[in-house]
Amino acid sequence: MYYLREMPDKLTITVISGSVDRLTGMAVLVSGAVAMDVDVEIFLQLWGIYAFRKDKIRENTHLSEFEELGEEVMKRMVEKNVKPWHEVLKEAKELGNVKIYACSTAMDIWGVKLEDLEMVDDVIGAAEWIEKAKESNISIFV
Amino acid sequence: MGIDPSQIKPNKTVDARGTSCPGPLLEAKRSITQVPIDGILEVLSSDPGTKKDIPAWAKKVGHELLGMVDESGYTRIFVRRKK
Repeated sequence: MYYLREMPDKLTITVISGSVDRLTGMAVLVSGAVAMDVDVEIFLQLWGIYAFRKDKIRENTHLSEFEELGEEVMKRMVEKNVKPWHEVLKEAKELGNVKIYACSTAMDIWGVKLEDLEMVDDVIGAAEWIEKAKESNISIFV
Repeated sequence: MGIDPSQIKPNKTVDARGTSCPGPLLEAKRSITQVPIDGILEVLSSDPGTKKDIPAWAKKVGHELLGMVDESGYTRIFVRRKK
């Protein structure tokens, strides 16, 4: 394969959702990327920031879809040994090159600081995020 | 002619049965450095996705997939570390 310029494979994920189902899907993709030696950068917006708050990350049970099936799907995930999304993400972060950024405006909305958030590396703005996303081969929105 | 994978003697076996996708692949990534270069890692997985994931990973990262053996309820996957 030929590239116009050398750059590492990179996946960027913009996360506005704070729902456990969407975050679970996100975490699985991150660990898949890490296994494939793909760098990952994640940008947290509104509910994404809320879900990474140290005081919320473990107690959050909100689902974005099929709320009536929530109890059943949670039970199945436990049966099938699917780890909580934040544990999957933490493991991926330890194993690969995963950076997590928080949106400065959303931080302001929640009145939180970097040290109030789990696993988050830095606070950046939307323009800087777009610059990072421009350099990635895969970019998704959760 | 290819080798019979069931005759392969691995340097190390990692049992990832019971972990869900992509757990077995992460185990493979973690464990491959624990066998010498040209050594063989065997991964046991009960997750059907692994049969696609590990070949894709080996190709991307540059290791050699030697073969797979389906057992009852799980698969044995053999990878030769190349670098």
